[in-house]
Amino acid sequence: MTEERSTNRSRLPAVLAVIFLIALFMGPGPGIYLINPDPGDPATRRVVLGMPVVYVWAISWFFVQLAVVVIAYFKLWSRQED
Amino acid sequence: MWPSPPALAAVTDFGYVPHAVLGCYLLALIGIGVVGFLRSKATEEDYYLAGRRQGFIVTALTCMATFFSSFALLGAAGVVYKDGLAYFLFALNLPVSGGAVYILGSRISRLGRAKGYVTPADMVADYYGSSVALRILVALVGFLYVVPYVVMQIRAGGYLADRMFPDVRPVTILGDRWDMFALGSTAMSIIMMLYIIVGGMRSVAWADVVQGTLLMLGMVLAGLATMAALGGVGGYFREVSKLPTESLSLPGLSGAWPAWKLMTVCMFASSASMIQPGQWMRYYAARSSNTLRRSALIFAALLGCCYLFGIMFVGLGAKRLYPLHDDQGRYCFKVAANNPQTEKVKKWIDPKTQKVDWKNLLPNPRVGQKPEEVDQVVIAVIQDERHGLPKLLGPIGVVVACIILVAILAASTSTADSNLHALSGVLTRDVYDRFVHPGAGQKERAWVGRGIIVAATLLALWLVHKSKWDPYFQPLQLIAKLGFVAMGFSCQLLPITIDMLFVRRGTRPGAIAGMIAGIGVVFFFTPFPQMMTGAAGAAGKVYSLFDELKRLFDIGFCGFVVNVAVFFLVSLFTKRPDPQRVGDMARIMDGKKD
Repeated sequence: MTEERSTNRSRLPAVLAVIFLIALFMGPGPGIYLINPDPGDPATRRVVLGMPVVYVWAISWFFVQLAVVVIAYFKLWSRQED
Repeated sequence: MWPSPPALAAVTDFGYVPHAVLGCYLLALIGIGVVGFLRSKATEEDYYLAGRRQGFIVTALTCMATFFSSFALLGAAGVVYKDGLAYFLFALNLPVSGGAVYILGSRISRLGRAKGYVTPADMVADYYGSSVALRILVALVGFLYVVPYVVMQIRAGGYLADRMFPDVRPVTILGDRWDMFALGSTAMSIIMMLYIIVGGMRSVAWADVVQGTLLMLGMVLAGLATMAALGGVGGYFREVSKLPTESLSLPGLSGAWPAWKLMTVCMFASSASMIQPGQWMRYYAARSSNTLRRSALIFAALLGCCYLFGIMFVGLGAKRLYPLHDDQGRYCFKVAANNPQTEKVKKWIDPKTQKVDWKNLLPNPRVGQKPEEVDQVVIAVIQDERHGLPKLLGPIGVVVACIILVAILAASTSTADSNLHALSGVLTRDVYDRFVHPGAGQKERAWVGRGIIVAATLLALWLVHKSKWDPYFQPLQLIAKLGFVAMGFSCQLLPITIDMLFVRRGTRPGAIAGMIAGIGVVFFFTPFPQMMTGAAGAAGKVYSLFDELKRLFDIGFCGFVVNVAVFFLVSLFTKRPDPQRVGDMARIMDGKKD
């Protein structure tokens, strides 16, 4: 049990780093073209939940990034005073 | 024609409230300088690093205030006003920067404390065992980052004072005519110089606490004011949803923000900002890794929210309040005229039918008269008598509006003071102490540092004033152009920083070759090579390639790729630093040994 917990903990930095990089790729990166409205298409989806779709996309990935930082803060980053 | 009446005089008269708010702010800065002086000790470590005892609130706020210049409040909103929602995604660089405060900062801090480093070059030169070449390169990168920022922020302070007090008549001092621009930039510079000289890092950091708080308050309040002007949260999103699709999608109205560029800016420009000398010295000044851990979280969460739920709303909302286009979808552009008295200098153009140069896009006249005045949009929103803060909140709104205006000034000051202080450290430690007077005592170095601050401030001020009266004055134009690539230069420190802190496989010749290659690549993005060789023939093709790269990617990233490749290749064939020394330093950085 303790060993399993230790293995999970040693994988956590890599998992968080991958999630963070995915958030960067999907948020401000090329992933945005999945939802980016096309100015040439009158039927393009510009709004979701009453807000511009790119804005909703930006804040969603921002919160993913922030969640990674918060998890790292509590689980990984050293609390010791040097 | 503009769809809304372009009444230029529709700004609220704030009376003497701006004078009072600004006076309180400047008095607070002077007070901070005095208290910083009373708490100081006559040592170099105390002057440059506040005795390495800074707590997490001061560290978080000073890192944030140093990170954000006046661009945070004026420029970002201006870019959104011009290009639209695409630039919102820029805010996703803030968790990257926040993370860097701990991931890079904690290791830099541990080693700095153990070895007594003051500047970035102290650590790099010690790690790679190089006392001259690498130190000079690191100092040069720091210098190239810091100088344009100091000069530009002082100039921004002058423009802001001009905008805050438009009715103040010029005064004559010693036979010279001083307008609000000259008075504002001079007052800001002198007060800033005084509190840096007397209190050093302690005063700079405490001033940054005030300025950082004002900065965040200003960002949120300006966003709320814009929302309120458009009818609250629901009304705001209903209105902005009516904007043309080009303003609600990538790459933005002018096409300046393709996804790869935004992503590389978020990754590399933000990391570069977090290892520039001013920030690096803040890591040394932090009390412990735990301090940086807490600061990192505050940085990532607070600044990101201030951006995404504050200042960015201003630019997008202003696109509805002060439209850039007419009812037929045409935009107004500045055009060249041989005789401006008789020829038209503005032209309405539909970008769907005609090619346009977006650099010449004119803002709505309520915002500004020149293309570069799009970044006045925050000031326009809060001063507008139709729906500005005074209209919404009455007398309290006047005070809040003035706080936002002072926050903009604080953003300029906070970046300029940190960079001036860092410049003093870099020139004293890396140039004076190594090449001019080796073996100088701590007191002497601290006084030389103070002298550098005075000289740099007065020189920057002279450059700013001279260029104001002489638009063809070259030095300031050149510095301004360097400012656009400052982060690109700073990014060239990233490969050796990552190598020292994590990888530890690089060599001294590799680091030197990589940095020279990276700096060289970034230099090609400045206008200087074109000025030297002309743009004809093969050279022209090379420059157009660099223009295309600049359009697609962050400049620093382009240099970084070349830097890493050269660093790696040269390191393969050259001798690594002493393994014993590297091992000892690694244990300290990893927190295993003090």
